[in-house]
Amino acid sequence: MVMFLMVLCLSMFGLAVTCLAFAAATGGIPSGVQNRVEAQPEKKPALALPKPRFFVDELPAPVAQPRVPLEVLLAQIERHVRLEQAAAESFLVSPTPQSLHSRTMSPLMH
Amino acid sequence: MTNGQPELMSGLSSDEAGRVLALGSRVTLASGSVLFRLGAEADGVFLIERGRITLTLPMQIGGREEDVLVDERLPGQIVGWSGLIPPHRFTLKATSPLETEVRALSRMALLDHFAAHPDVGYAVMRNLAAVIGQRLQVFQAMWLREMQRMVELRRP
Repeated sequence: MVMFLMVLCLSMFGLAVTCLAFAAATGGIPSGVQNRVEAQPEKKPALALPKPRFFVDELPAPVAQPRVPLEVLLAQIERHVRLEQAAAESFLVSPTPQSLHSRTMSPLMH
Repeated sequence: MTNGQPELMSGLSSDEAGRVLALGSRVTLASGSVLFRLGAEADGVFLIERGRITLTLPMQIGGREEDVLVDERLPGQIVGWSGLIPPHRFTLKATSPLETEVRALSRMALLDHFAAHPDVGYAVMRNLAAVIGQRLQVFQAMWLREMQRMVELRRP
């Protein structure tokens, strides 16, 4: 009788060990342990992941250009027109592709 | 001015040129005066005798309309050739940035004189065609230079 009980206890122990090993191998969690896990407050991951950048809907803000005073801008336009007119007249004196597209020193172009 | 003569009188004898000039009247413009405005009816041409005339067109800058320099004319040159060419409307605004003297020649007086002296009329109109043609070529070249820059900006 004692021997029978001992064999039964060992069998039950072996079965329990087998169940735990099986649960660990398949990812399952015993119900008692699962309840404890669910009872814990949810923790946010400590390391924040960067926002996905596949579809960027926020363009970077354009670099602010310094505003040119109106008088300065008008003076620059006037200088530009004079320089362009001189370049065009120079082209008419010797009409070549090079003289037509000669570089300008206009402040509007630099 | 060619050989001391205004560009419009090139090829005329001094007597012929003098008779044409005598058809007009001298007008003195104070600094900042407007000789004619864009869109106004043009009934004559103006020969610059002293000073300077700036030709401008309106442009929107910062939400405001500003007159932007398009061309500048000096003594011996003419402004306002729309006075002789239909539809007789000024296509620019002309102002004097400094005290300037111009000789105003009315279309009717000129056409009557040309009818009586066709050889003078032929010479003057040929000179006028040369002035218009030269300005057209200058603006063609200026326009193409701007187009070239636009193409370069768009090039990948």
